[in-house]
Amino acid sequence: MRLPEFSYVAPRSLAEACTTLEEMDGKAAVIAGGTDLLQPLKEKLKRPHYLVDLRSIPGLDEISYDPKEGLTLGAMVSLRHLAASRVVKQTYPVLAQAALEVATAQIQAMGTVGGNLCQDSLCLYYNRSAASKKGLELCLKAGGDVCHTVKGSGKCWATFCSDLAPVFLVLGARIKIVDKDGERVSPLAELYSGHGRRPLTLKPGQVLTQIMVPPVTGSDGAVYLKLRLRQSIDYPALGVAAGIRVKEETQKIAVALTGVEKKPLLFEKELARDQTIGEDVIRVLAEQAYAQAHPLNNLRDFTPKYRKEMVPIYVRSALQQALHWGGQ
Amino acid sequence: MERITLNVNGQSHQLNIKVNETLLDVLREQLGLFGTKKGCDSGACGACTVIIDGEPALSCMILAVRCQGREILTIEGLAPEGELHPLQESAIEHGAVQCGFCTPGWLMSAKALLDENPAPSRREVQAAIAGNLCRCTGYKQIEDAILAVAKK
Repeated sequence: MRLPEFSYVAPRSLAEACTTLEEMDGKAAVIAGGTDLLQPLKEKLKRPHYLVDLRSIPGLDEISYDPKEGLTLGAMVSLRHLAASRVVKQTYPVLAQAALEVATAQIQAMGTVGGNLCQDSLCLYYNRSAASKKGLELCLKAGGDVCHTVKGSGKCWATFCSDLAPVFLVLGARIKIVDKDGERVSPLAELYSGHGRRPLTLKPGQVLTQIMVPPVTGSDGAVYLKLRLRQSIDYPALGVAAGIRVKEETQKIAVALTGVEKKPLLFEKELARDQTIGEDVIRVLAEQAYAQAHPLNNLRDFTPKYRKEMVPIYVRSALQQALHWGGQ
Repeated sequence: MERITLNVNGQSHQLNIKVNETLLDVLREQLGLFGTKKGCDSGACGACTVIIDGEPALSCMILAVRCQGREILTIEGLAPEGELHPLQESAIEHGAVQCGFCTPGWLMSAKALLDENPAPSRREVQAAIAGNLCRCTGYKQIEDAILAVAKK
């Protein structure tokens, strides 16, 4: 498959990248690792006039850690480097583990943290070859006005399937977004629009440059569980991250889901620090997750019913394991 | 057209490429390096695996223009002309080659693994080649072939 024609821009600075992206006004796509972008380009699902490469911008692939500030990851850190980083393995092992759950060794070496968080949502009716779409009306995600997954709904239901997003969410990560006017820091959850067609809130000219993860204490714990058919390559049919973050006076229990909605879902509960996290808390979170997860028939493996039934089971198991890791 | 320099198997090549060409197409069509296979051409099968700066990469999923100044190793560069790499010898010995289409890809994945971790466990070998689909061998022979080299 040949790639369509486009112009290639390799800016030397973030300012240059942001200006270029804004001038192109939606006609440009950012390329980081490229693993999530090249296939839709080959299938002519996306037709950007320009590709703006972040690889030539210095400083975006750095990992730094400070016990007071926490972990700072450049958006261009590869999943392979994330998983191999000594400080990540020691202090945030769940991140290293989740990075190794993504696709394959080759894609981990090419794909980036920023790219994984900004990956496009998936749908069997969209992510397929032009030939196999013959006779199908153009769907909303491809620029048409029907949805084949939820017929008659009038909106796009493509599913968001990043493995890292739920993990960063339960760790309480924040992101840095840069545009030509400056930068702003916001909670990771604000990156996601909840729309299948355009799952990100980024506007033309805005680039995700950093992910900041707060410091952890000895009593914190987090895990990521992934439901999939094969031990490699698969996107999550369901991914559940759970984390306990203990602060001075309180403790936060968080559960995040991927692969079951148009955006990653986050459920949090705050308790007093000395309160025991018991069955009641676990049950409430499992019930909330079950109620809000909407797995659909637009991913390849498992039935939506099975994936939905697995939600509370995975949530319970993830929470119990996170508690165990946290020593509770 | 873009004029770029590609370092492939220790040799530097001046090439005129289009920015929308993948590394795989440039390797095969401009440099005549047909050892790197085009399987699915969509990042799923691993037949096009090469090593870029010491890391396994899918040449069908990377633009050639992004490979300037990086060290690319393909199956042709695995051993000197007329010789076989220990991994290749071991593949023959263990019956790890049948139709041969996936072979260059998993050999490059294995080479990248052993360069980084000379004594991997079977699990680590499995993780390293999980992105290389083989429809003939059932993987057992491939794992054995890699582990045999690792032990030497």
